Amino acid sequence: MILTQEQQDALTELINIAFSKTAASLSDLTGHRVLLDVPKVDIIPIEDMSRKLGAFIQGEVATVHQIFTGTLAGDAMLVLNADGASMLVNLLTGQERPGIRVDATGREVLTEIGNILLNACLGMFGNLLKVHVSFSVPRLFVEDLEAMMGTLVVGQEELRYALTVSTNFRLQGNAVEGYLVIVLGVVSLDQLIHAIERWTEHPIIE
Amino acid sequence: MAKILIVDDSMLSRRMMRAILESDGHEVCEATDGMSGIERYFLEKPDLVTLDLTMEGMHGIDVLTRIRQIDPKARVVVASADIQDATRALVMEAGARAFVNKPFNTRQVLEAVRNALQGDPS
Repeated sequence: MILTQEQQDALTELINIAFSKTAASLSDLTGHRVLLDVPKVDIIPIEDMSRKLGAFIQGEVATVHQIFTGTLAGDAMLVLNADGASMLVNLLTGQERPGIRVDATGREVLTEIGNILLNACLGMFGNLLKVHVSFSVPRLFVEDLEAMMGTLVVGQEELRYALTVSTNFRLQGNAVEGYLVIVLGVVSLDQLIHAIERWTEHPIIE
Repeated sequence: MAKILIVDDSMLSRRMMRAILESDGHEVCEATDGMSGIERYFLEKPDLVTLDLTMEGMHGIDVLTRIRQIDPKARVVVASADIQDATRALVMEAGARAFVNKPFNTRQVLEAVRNALQGDPS
């Protein structure tokens, strides 16, 4: 599925708005300036997702999964590489914890940050579409990329496309690179694109 | 100052909410899920509850409904990462006094708490 330039721009802008609000609030909480690069948005078949993510992330990844249901349904994930995950935990807790296999506190931090970012993005879509999206409890997994992809695809034959959003947080001068992946069925994706087209005609967020 | 019960399954969010509320002089107690939140509500008899929505076990809306069934005067401020207008409408209809989003903004949280505490119990 190929987005037109206008759809791509609108989708990027929506996600940018959602993430910017989150970055501002994170800045309030941490007491540090949080910079968020303009997210790069793409829609790809899920078969290509492993290759795309693999170009940026190798080895173990930390993923926060959140299943969402309703008119817009799918599987949303925040994917961080090992360095990014431990750096994010260290920055937000103010303590040094080496490696990706973080302790309970680190898992808490990653899960909640994933929860906040995924909700910010999907909530914006829910508001745009004027439908209610229900969220599952977020879950953190630490596994290699291939294993993560396997758990995503198995048993979910209706899922076909992944909306990928690559982001870059900068907090205290440290960059944490992460990927937000939203896997949608064709029906949900079609609704999202139509809503974006409507939004581009009346681009007001209430 | 008020006694406030924080119901949230995230340690990070409980810690952040506690810091905000204590900075305004409130006394804080915590529960880590919906069921224990209901139990703590009736043990502690807080003046106000801040309540997460997406939690293991009972969903926050069910917790809100249950608390309000037993104590119709309960003051509840929902504190969630869910930014949807539909969710806000749903929790306000269920009897919440206010809805604040994660990550928390100190000014917004304290304003919501003050307004909720000042309003008539109903």
